[in-house]
Amino acid sequence: MKGCAILLTFLLLVPVSAARGQADVTAIKAGKILTISGDPIADGVILIKNGKIADIGTEIEIPEDASVMDAGQNVVMPGLVDARAVPPVRGDLNEQSSEMTPALRISSALDPQSKALKRLVQTGVTTLLISPGPRNVIGGLGVVVKPTGKIPQEMVVKDDAALTIVMDLDSAYGNLVPWYRSPNNFYYRRPTTRMAIIWMLRKSFFDARQYATSKQEQDAALGILSSALEDEIPIHVNVRRAINIRTILKIADQYGLQLILDECTEGYKVADKLARKNVPVVLGPFYYYPRSSGQMREGRKVNWNNAGLLASAGVKVALASGERPESIDLLTAATFAVRHGMQRDEALKAVTITPAEILRVADKVGSLEKGKDADILILSGDPLNVTTRIEKVILNGKTVYTAD
Amino acid sequence: MKSRSSIAFVSMLLTSFVLSPLAHAAPVRKKLAIKAGRIITIAGADIKNGVILTEDGMIKAVGTDVEIPWDAFVIEAKDQVVMPGFVLAHTSSGLDRANENVPEVPFLSTFDSIDPISTFFEDSLRDGVVAMLVLPGNDTLLGGTGTVVKPHGRTVEAMLIERDTGLKISLRPTRNTSRMGHMQRFRRYMSDLKEYLEEYEQRKADAKEEKKPFDEEIDPRKQPMIDLLNQRLTAFVYCDRAADVPKAIDIQKTDKLNTVLVLSPDCYKAVGLVAKSKLPVILDPELIVWETNEETNEEEMKIIPMIFHQAGVKFALQTDTSQYGRRYLWYQAATAVKHGMKRTEALKSITLYPAQFIGVDDRLGSIEAGKEATVIFLTGDPFDAQTWVDQVMIAGQIVYEREKDERLKKLLEEPEAIPTPEDTD
Repeated sequence: MKGCAILLTFLLLVPVSAARGQADVTAIKAGKILTISGDPIADGVILIKNGKIADIGTEIEIPEDASVMDAGQNVVMPGLVDARAVPPVRGDLNEQSSEMTPALRISSALDPQSKALKRLVQTGVTTLLISPGPRNVIGGLGVVVKPTGKIPQEMVVKDDAALTIVMDLDSAYGNLVPWYRSPNNFYYRRPTTRMAIIWMLRKSFFDARQYATSKQEQDAALGILSSALEDEIPIHVNVRRAINIRTILKIADQYGLQLILDECTEGYKVADKLARKNVPVVLGPFYYYPRSSGQMREGRKVNWNNAGLLASAGVKVALASGERPESIDLLTAATFAVRHGMQRDEALKAVTITPAEILRVADKVGSLEKGKDADILILSGDPLNVTTRIEKVILNGKTVYTAD
Repeated sequence: MKSRSSIAFVSMLLTSFVLSPLAHAAPVRKKLAIKAGRIITIAGADIKNGVILTEDGMIKAVGTDVEIPWDAFVIEAKDQVVMPGFVLAHTSSGLDRANENVPEVPFLSTFDSIDPISTFFEDSLRDGVVAMLVLPGNDTLLGGTGTVVKPHGRTVEAMLIERDTGLKISLRPTRNTSRMGHMQRFRRYMSDLKEYLEEYEQRKADAKEEKKPFDEEIDPRKQPMIDLLNQRLTAFVYCDRAADVPKAIDIQKTDKLNTVLVLSPDCYKAVGLVAKSKLPVILDPELIVWETNEETNEEEMKIIPMIFHQAGVKFALQTDTSQYGRRYLWYQAATAVKHGMKRTEALKSITLYPAQFIGVDDRLGSIEAGKEATVIFLTGDPFDAQTWVDQVMIAGQIVYEREKDERLKKLLEEPEAIPTPEDTD
């Protein structure tokens, strides 16, 4: 019923504002606004101008020419930020020609028509990081995008937003050539062991440091690695097991790297250490049942309260939907994180402002504040309730999804 | 049927005493009174501050003005919500292997394959499931018969509620066969079976005419299919695609089989046919699918339970482990509620309806006088993700207590710190 009423108001309003020819000012009135950056606002108004939040609060004068969207008693919150999502690209994500491909940019394969994007929008995601696949030790550069746009350039929020490193055996998995096959063919890849993965990482950062000091001839790959050394490009390390987390932290110390840890299934075991070293984590969706494949056998020691334990130790925690299309949506992930022991406000931050900070786009997205992008969700109730539905998704001030 | 279940009950008791360190079940009290803050009866309206009176594991009375006998043991559940335990109408979990690699094996039974120490059963109990029909998987044409068990007990015999319930028929072609071949195989099996029965009857009649003794027994390998024809067994027909639905309905009509449809998400396209057939339906664990609209080329979200609900189809929900929330029946029902289904109907789809479909609704599925005292104690509303199952009672006996759930503690609590030299930095 409520949904119908909203829809009706909407249908009535849209033609009016369109007729005036200046629909660039919109006011959203709502019973409850979760700003994330501050306290919730009861009976507040958000004023949107040119796709940005012009003002937000309770005593805001709505300009006469503004189109008003009355969300009634619905809950309004910022659009979700997914720090690791299904990549909306054409074709394979893993470049097979080499294990070290730091200069590859996933933005060059971005497909604005991707179905994955539209699904993400419907689950409330308005900003996401996409990264190359997990089969390379250093996979390449990720990009932060918004899930709408006709051409890739329209979508990009931040290019070269992350350098993807894979610490777990994923990058070695399948490289072992069976004894009966000759190893001297094109598909023969290294590494095959954890030792080799770590060696390759150390070597490439060593080379990058040499490159940065000597500045011999231009080299794209080394150039990117050296800017990662300088913290100009954040390093996302895909790592699940505690043993690998410890190792990558050691490497980080050696080369002075500022890391962001992805997946981090066993992060709770090294929570104190991560907090001390100020390393943020992006937790993937967790599976209670270990998969049969060798990849999933890594990180078998699952703790349901991984997010809660990390957060209470003082680690910056973001929840992500992960690169599998079948994984749960972010709000549900946050809901279950609370079920398992995470604080409510921490969980809400973990899908909004924290990932925005980790991705270094918190000046644009992640909370409802003056000057930020108007990425807004209208929900039928409390965001951390399984029966709450996303009624409307607004991206850059435009409605991109309405539930029917 | 009664005696069988009582044998199962006694053997369950015996095993629980023998293996007491693992199954820390409380004793069965003759008379019990549960004073609950809220009772979701399913049979009728919810009751606030009500009492459930039980005797010998059966519910005697439910209501607010129930007199508690002096000799009844009182369970105080003032802050809890008490509701019937969840029932899972279709699963192939808890088996060592769900599918035999021969397509026509109706004579197999999951009873022989259920692994009582599988974590699936332990988790089910923790999540408030009190009965499930374990059927063969979806990759075998005539897969075998199912077993209704409760997720409590250390042997299959102890877990048993009902043997040989339902027979799995899967319309999904087995590996390397076509749909044509698959259907043809089914038809040939049925015509061979009918021929066999006719000849058998003929031989029986001949013997009678010749006044000879007739001691030929029915081929036991065919027995489950004959039971199916005689409506002593229910067919659980798995439809992999919408195109399989008319075939399943056709099979049902031809031989007047008792049928429950087990539908994949794609089958929503045949919702009209399903509704018209009035057959009970078990929906796929995947409740939301995305599809590209061919006309607009837009991605559309299809909410499967809503499509069936609006068409007036009665359905049960099931679970799987491919996605985190989906492993909970309450989450599945909550997903339906999220998209507009009525709460009461959604609750029925995980309690009463599945109990009806697997033929245990005389004992389970709702809280009313005459049914088994098989209830779960929740910390709050069943659809709230912050709610936990505090206790599970099966036939008047508490078989699960969250306080004593060591594995759950391990899954949620901080591990012991492992200090290493490098941690000192």
